[in-house]
Amino acid sequence: MIVADGLSKRFRTARGGFVQAVERVGFVAPDGRITGLLGANGAGKTTTLRMVAGLIEPDTGRVTVDEVDVAAQPRAALARMGVLGDARGLYPRLTARENVVYYGELQGMARGAAHARADALARMLDMAHLLDRRTEGFSQGERMKTALARALVHDPPNVVLDEPTNGLDVLATRALRDALRWLATPEGGSKCIVFSTHVMQEVERLCDNVLVVARGSVVAQGTVEELLARTGRGDFEEAFVDLAFATERREGAAS
Amino acid sequence: MTRAASGRAWAVYRKELIDALRDRRTLATVLLSSVFLGPLLLVALSGLYATLEEGAERREVVVSGIEHAPALRNYIERQGVVILAAAPDHEQQLRESRLRDAVVVVPPGFERELALGEAPVLEVVTDSANRHADASVARVQRLLYGFARERAGLALALRGVAGALLEPVQVAERDLAGARSRAMRFTGMLPFFVILAVLYGALTAALDTTAGERERGSLEPLLTNPATPMAIVLGKWGAVATVAALISLLSSLSFVPAQWLLRSDALQAMFQYGTRELVAFGLALLPLAAAVSAALMAVAIRCRSVKEAQASAAVVVLVLSLVPLLSQLGSGAAEPWHLWMPGLAQNQIMARALQGEPLSVRQWLVPPAVCALLTVLCLRFVARHLREAAVRP
Repeated sequence: MIVADGLSKRFRTARGGFVQAVERVGFVAPDGRITGLLGANGAGKTTTLRMVAGLIEPDTGRVTVDEVDVAAQPRAALARMGVLGDARGLYPRLTARENVVYYGELQGMARGAAHARADALARMLDMAHLLDRRTEGFSQGERMKTALARALVHDPPNVVLDEPTNGLDVLATRALRDALRWLATPEGGSKCIVFSTHVMQEVERLCDNVLVVARGSVVAQGTVEELLARTGRGDFEEAFVDLAFATERREGAAS
Repeated sequence: MTRAASGRAWAVYRKELIDALRDRRTLATVLLSSVFLGPLLLVALSGLYATLEEGAERREVVVSGIEHAPALRNYIERQGVVILAAAPDHEQQLRESRLRDAVVVVPPGFERELALGEAPVLEVVTDSANRHADASVARVQRLLYGFARERAGLALALRGVAGALLEPVQVAERDLAGARSRAMRFTGMLPFFVILAVLYGALTAALDTTAGERERGSLEPLLTNPATPMAIVLGKWGAVATVAALISLLSSLSFVPAQWLLRSDALQAMFQYGTRELVAFGLALLPLAAAVSAALMAVAIRCRSVKEAQASAAVVVLVLSLVPLLSQLGSGAAEPWHLWMPGLAQNQIMARALQGEPLSVRQWLVPPAVCALLTVLCLRFVARHLREAAVRP
């Protein structure tokens, strides 16, 4: 379970000013559920997930992963998380298996166990034929699968994914969706899954709980049905626009 | 460091080493340019030395207008030196380095002026840009002064004066340099090439593990593993330093077969490169490989791309490679502060080893200590900036 409470972060701009990237973001992502952060580009999703993964220190607020404080015990928290971040660079001169096993070893696994896990993940993600090929020249879908296998190598109870479907074709997107859905089931380990996206379809088809993020803050949260009911819309895209851009619309109408 | 942290550092080390060794094209270029350049230079220098030696020993002199000086011809032939007639365009030939000997020009009327005691002028024509001809000037002048001395001696003897009056002082030269020190004029550049080999050996790997990883976008995911920044940095540095040490070892070893190819017998006798020299080179270079690897990583970690890092690393490479050259431009004497300068210190140690001179305790201890300190400082810097480099806002 991942709990974020009152996360804020501001960055210094090149001109010496400040930009508030995230302001008082909080959420609870329980085990066995898929929680989605839905927002336009620049809404603060990546910064929020980077704070969850301990890559950026928040100015205020805290994150706990299975009750382990990320700021106080970053290594223990990271051992309980699989992170597929914004950057998912692979090592082109290593095979997919070597990429995965490397992360297994960094997670403290024995080599033999990491190899066995790489085989199991390859079956799950339908990438067994890729496993012993160097990742140089992999397609976007193949790269994503390898990066996901790498993030899941230590079988973490919590999975954090930043825009995982970016650049994927329909088939790869479907495969990823199936994999995430399975990971949230008891057979898949009842994992707590948090992912960010700006694609409505994904949220509609996948998320048990949705956080609508706009201008660095959570402006609404609930299930897809609850958000539709709250806005009185039948179409989720319309509901999202209402929720995320309500302030701009009001300001636009007032002027 | 805990057992878990050292296990993770070891995993990073193994991965980075495999990654670096699989970069075959870069490795081949580094091997060709760094490892073979020194020996090639040595062999080329020995070729030059052999021809200079040959020139110094040659019993030939090129003369224009020898028909105007029968006495000079007589003298030269009595010395067992063969006179070669100069071509009419000898000046042109000298300028274009087609003629490898200075030319003695005898003016018409030389014999008559000599008999009258009018001190005729014998010109020794050379071109100082023509290295071989220039090297022969001293030999030709010695021959001509010999002739002048003999003429003066004869003139004085006719007047009943002792020839020794002409030489009230005798000048004798005593060269303190041992045979191997003399050879340093030719082999002095070798340490410089070995240091270059270390630099280029470390360069690609150091940049790839820092700026390269950042550019590929693999540094951010790497930091989502529960490994401490220092464990990651130690693993990476270990791999870079191993590659640099391997290249420097190969580069040092390459002089062993190179000395068998030396063309000049004298240089072969003077340049001795055996186990003792190899050990000295190794002991000098290993700490340097460690420090240079850490320094290049420290420079590259702040750069967003490999291209940017190459520009910054060029400064390090330039400083380390120019400093030994600058010291050679000076008096050439080893100053105490040289030992505190990485690059310069190693240059000095290797030069002394080549000269066959022993090294003091200070020379053994100070340079590795400086390298160790530099390594620690640079690695701490890289570890501190790793997270900041990984996360692109």
